[in-house]
Amino acid sequence: MELVLIALLGGTLALDATSVGQFMLSRPLVAGAITGWVVGDPVLGLTIGTLLELYLLVSFPSGGARFPEGTTATVVAVATASASTGPGALPIAVAIGLLWGQLGGFSTTALRKANGFIVPEPTDAQVGAARVATAHLGAMGLDFLRGALISGLGIAVGRVVIGRVASAWPLARADSFALVLVGAAVSLGILLHDLGGLRKRRTLFAAGLTLGIVGARFL
Amino acid sequence: MSDLSRLAITSTFLRSFLIQGSWNYRTMLGTGFAFAMLPALRRIFGADPQALDASVRRHLDHFNAHPYLANVALGAALRLEAEGTDPQIVRRFKTAVRGPLGGLGDSLVWAAWLPTVSMASLVLWWLGLPVWVVVASFLVIYNAGHLSLRIWGFRAGLRDGHGVAQTLGDARLAQFAERLQSIAVLLVGLLCGLVLSGHPGPSGAGVIWLAVAAASFAVGLVVGHRVWRPAAVATVAAIALIATWGAVQ
Repeated sequence: MELVLIALLGGTLALDATSVGQFMLSRPLVAGAITGWVVGDPVLGLTIGTLLELYLLVSFPSGGARFPEGTTATVVAVATASASTGPGALPIAVAIGLLWGQLGGFSTTALRKANGFIVPEPTDAQVGAARVATAHLGAMGLDFLRGALISGLGIAVGRVVIGRVASAWPLARADSFALVLVGAAVSLGILLHDLGGLRKRRTLFAAGLTLGIVGARFL
Repeated sequence: MSDLSRLAITSTFLRSFLIQGSWNYRTMLGTGFAFAMLPALRRIFGADPQALDASVRRHLDHFNAHPYLANVALGAALRLEAEGTDPQIVRRFKTAVRGPLGGLGDSLVWAAWLPTVSMASLVLWWLGLPVWVVVASFLVIYNAGHLSLRIWGFRAGLRDGHGVAQTLGDARLAQFAERLQSIAVLLVGLLCGLVLSGHPGPSGAGVIWLAVAAASFAVGLVVGHRVWRPAAVATVAAIALIATWGAVQ
């Protein structure tokens, strides 16, 4: 029952990524916290959401770009991690989330191709207002089903995997967290590259870095 | 404009939130644009079903723009239709604005506003603020900008019609995006500082992790987007290897 509920949540949140609103409920940061609340552990949800947000900071739903889908990735990762208390739950869930994000991206591309057959042809003289509304709302329904299916499948697979390997994870929690952060650091570097790099705004970056290091000493 | 009721205008604006619902590689936002225009077109051509269907078909053409700034074209098209403008002029207008609305929106929202607000929220998380504060601050701040842009764009299009290009230029959105990117860089630096020296972070796991994280950041900074997929694959592979190693021990 819980799996169905989370899968439906995945479908609903996935709609926000492109089809409905783009209020950014679909960003990993938010999707992680919401899924965490549903599985009873919002802190775990936000932790995984934050890590995946770092990974997917540079992945935006712009134009026809093919991008990993952060929403289903996060829903799957949080629901997977919540099924285990082992030390490997966090890194394994993030890895499964990253894999599922790719699958979600492929499914989005497939849906967009399918939509090309669903939407009416502008030159078809038979097309009217009702046909346009039906096709448009039908495509949104398909997007919801896609998100729910990808989420449900991911959680089912993820929970089997994590049940088998999380308890035997050999690294300490601090090392596991650092391992995941190493991968996320690449994305942070890419983001700075996209924002003009050090050549353009090195003073601002240095000021922020200093503030962060000094600030951390007082926390 | 007298043909358009407040209800039809509001309905069209609300439907603009669904403009990407049938995104496809053939007409992109075309069907979504026609779907959003429907309440207004019904108001304008409602007495003549054939004219209504013909007007809907005209808006099914290929159209693409940033989803938030598509409202500029939507508002302007609404005005042009209400004024009985020649359909070819409406079509040419949409063709002319779709490129700028896409480029401007991507650089303002995806490359500046979203990273800035995301970074600010990540900083809040690293500072240890409660879950609801982090999530609520992200959603409230992001959507304040998001909704303002949608409303401004729609109203500007509706007010200026064909002349909305001038309004877009006067708004200096590109300059605003530049300023936002400066704030985002400051926040990237702040987050890096917190991650490197605070807890949780690689510093808690030892100097080797710290060095590897710094090297990873440098690779991303120098190489850019080409390294994202290999880095993600390497992370997943490393986790899979460690998990397998632990399982066979």
